[in-house]
Amino acid sequence: MKYTPELEGFRAQVRAFIDERLGPDLRNRLRQGFPASKAELQQWQRTLHERGWAAPHWPKAYGGADLSTEQRLILLDELFRAPAPIPLGFNVTMLGPLILAYGTEQQKRFFLPKLASLELWFCQGFSEPGSGSDLASLRTSARREGDDFVINGQKIWTTGAHLADWIFCLVRTQKTERKQEGISFLLVDMRTPGITVRPIVSIDGEHHLNEVFFDDVRVPMTNLLGEEGRGWDCAKFLLANERTGIANVGLSRERLGHAISLAAMLGESGNDVALQPWFLQEIAILDAEIRALEVTNWRLLVGDDERSAAFASVLKLKGCEMQQRVMVLLSKVAGPEGLEKRPSRGEESKHWAAALDPRYFYSRAASIYGGATEIQKDILAKAVLERA
Amino acid sequence: MNFTLNSEQRQLQDTLRRLLSDHYSFEKRRVISASAEGWSAAAWRKMCELGISALSIDEGRGGLGGNAEDIAVVMAELGRALVVEPFLPTAVLAACALGGADPDVAAGLLPRIAAGEVLLAWAHDERTARHRFDCVGAAAELRDGRWLLTGVKSNVLHAPAAEFFVVSARVRAPSNTEGVALFLVDARCPDLSCRPYRLVDESLAGEITLTSALAVPLADPLDHQRQEAMLGAVRRAGTAALCAEAFGVMQAAFELTAGYVNTRVQFGRPLAANQAVRHQIAEMAVALETCRSAVGMAAAAVDDPISGFQDISRAKLLIGLHGRTVCHQAIQLHGGIGVTEEYKVGHCLRRLVVLDQLFGDADAHAQELATQLVQATEVMRSQQRSNCDD
Repeated sequence: MKYTPELEGFRAQVRAFIDERLGPDLRNRLRQGFPASKAELQQWQRTLHERGWAAPHWPKAYGGADLSTEQRLILLDELFRAPAPIPLGFNVTMLGPLILAYGTEQQKRFFLPKLASLELWFCQGFSEPGSGSDLASLRTSARREGDDFVINGQKIWTTGAHLADWIFCLVRTQKTERKQEGISFLLVDMRTPGITVRPIVSIDGEHHLNEVFFDDVRVPMTNLLGEEGRGWDCAKFLLANERTGIANVGLSRERLGHAISLAAMLGESGNDVALQPWFLQEIAILDAEIRALEVTNWRLLVGDDERSAAFASVLKLKGCEMQQRVMVLLSKVAGPEGLEKRPSRGEESKHWAAALDPRYFYSRAASIYGGATEIQKDILAKAVLERA
Repeated sequence: MNFTLNSEQRQLQDTLRRLLSDHYSFEKRRVISASAEGWSAAAWRKMCELGISALSIDEGRGGLGGNAEDIAVVMAELGRALVVEPFLPTAVLAACALGGADPDVAAGLLPRIAAGEVLLAWAHDERTARHRFDCVGAAAELRDGRWLLTGVKSNVLHAPAAEFFVVSARVRAPSNTEGVALFLVDARCPDLSCRPYRLVDESLAGEITLTSALAVPLADPLDHQRQEAMLGAVRRAGTAALCAEAFGVMQAAFELTAGYVNTRVQFGRPLAANQAVRHQIAEMAVALETCRSAVGMAAAAVDDPISGFQDISRAKLLIGLHGRTVCHQAIQLHGGIGVTEEYKVGHCLRRLVVLDQLFGDADAHAQELATQLVQATEVMRSQQRSNCDD
């Protein structure tokens, strides 16, 4: 697979831009395996936004750059390669395109530029304690009172709710026979009275996830996205749109490169991990798989492959497997050096192995969120068995 | 970048698929492979009428001037039907070698290969080489102005049916540099003997022994650079073609299995009603898509003269790895019938094992790739260090 000269030219532009604008400190911390802080992500997304590259696939009129899918994939690839922070997915990959498709002109003008620049930080209120993979069984409700909706209920596994300014939610506005009906899609300001955010500390000892409680939370009608009762359409559209970033090819490739680089570093101090058969076997397989995934990604997203829709599950399944395998590899490279529990900030966090085990632990979430592996296999099996 | 077939390729695929489903059913294949010859001249002629034997050959030499993607389309279809005809040895490997040969050697043969009138075999592998492509023990010596070859070549595909062999042998130049060169040997040469046998998938092969056998060099045997280029071209085209065939084999195993679990009823419902079964089907589909991409990237690498061998190596690794897994799952989901001689799915695994072993198996390619990856990183690190020192 070769990219056209035009696309290679675009890649060079992106690379030069990142090299000029991304600070070495942030780059090093990301390479080590730590996430960017809220302030760092805000600043970096603003920087990208100057070029329209925070939401590259949106129309220019709303803060995008009208880039093609090909260019967008290359941009993502270069961000991962650097490594640089990736623009907030909730804003630019999920909610933005949804507002473009279903929003009123007023909603577009108000939200889109702020989503692209990260002036507003959104989180996603989908999962509930009783509704994990079976999303449509959700019970958080909203009743109409005058020009407002009044929300009651609870969301869970809400990534970044403690950082977010707004939340987009699926809520039940009607009791219907089919559980997919009667759901509405609401945009809610996190400062609204009645919202409580409670942290959930995850397996890596960090705070990414939250519970969000809604207690008579009043939301104006104007924050309804799409039609009342048709929120399930929005959810499906949004999940389908998530496809582009779903394989995370660039991330896995960068992490694999880092593992090999660490092994080479260890070699210089006399450790022979880079010569061990298990290591060589695993890097070869991962390198080959990741390259093939890059081609599959391209084939299914850019090519006119008619199987694209159902086969997005292939991207999620394979992408996940790769991500999780490179994280295991990095943890094994860290070896005993990774055992000491180190803080994620400050001087001790600068140890090369500090982030590797925690990052590996949290990577187990990748096959659970965004449609668990089991759900993806169900979807894929249905598609291929129907055609058999 | 193009991973979807163009209209000509699609047409080629359709016609070949139709021909094979009409004339090369699995039952027919069993009869052919059980025959004394082990292949079918009549079936091969029908395939050649579609022009497939002319694909690898330049238009100026009686061929169609196809590219590696076209070859991949054909190989995948042949794999899907478990065809035991001589397309790979004659129309890919020998044709590719002759494509780089001197005109006086190639001119007579290429149009005849294109027309499907002559069979050749690629005699390169030796027992001790295992997966080292450059390990050649057969020797060539120049005596009284004639080249004579001595050595033993094993697993030569379609050897008993071949009229000519393209043989690799080691040559020592006057400057004392050593290299491997390619030669053409007539199968009727009295100093060549062939021990015919079948591979584990019932396909035809043989071991040939050369004892000072008269040979015609494809090009100046002392021109190591040119010889290396010819060998490299065969290795690239051959490895990529094998990947495509393996993909076709996987496809066959997958299609059979999906059809089977939909119709086979146990405990009052089709097997496909069980989630454990459905999930295996999904895993097979993921492997198949991965290999489809692998075939595409290998073919693209063959067609791109400046690209390295890496994508081809990656593809061969993935095909070996996932090909086996998919065939194992296919057999498992079929239950008892899957391990019988009379049913096709077991033959898919048998063919896949053969394909994995030719032109370097998955582990050999993994080793080569890993070595390159580590070396490249070490080079990068030492460059970074010297930049810091500057």
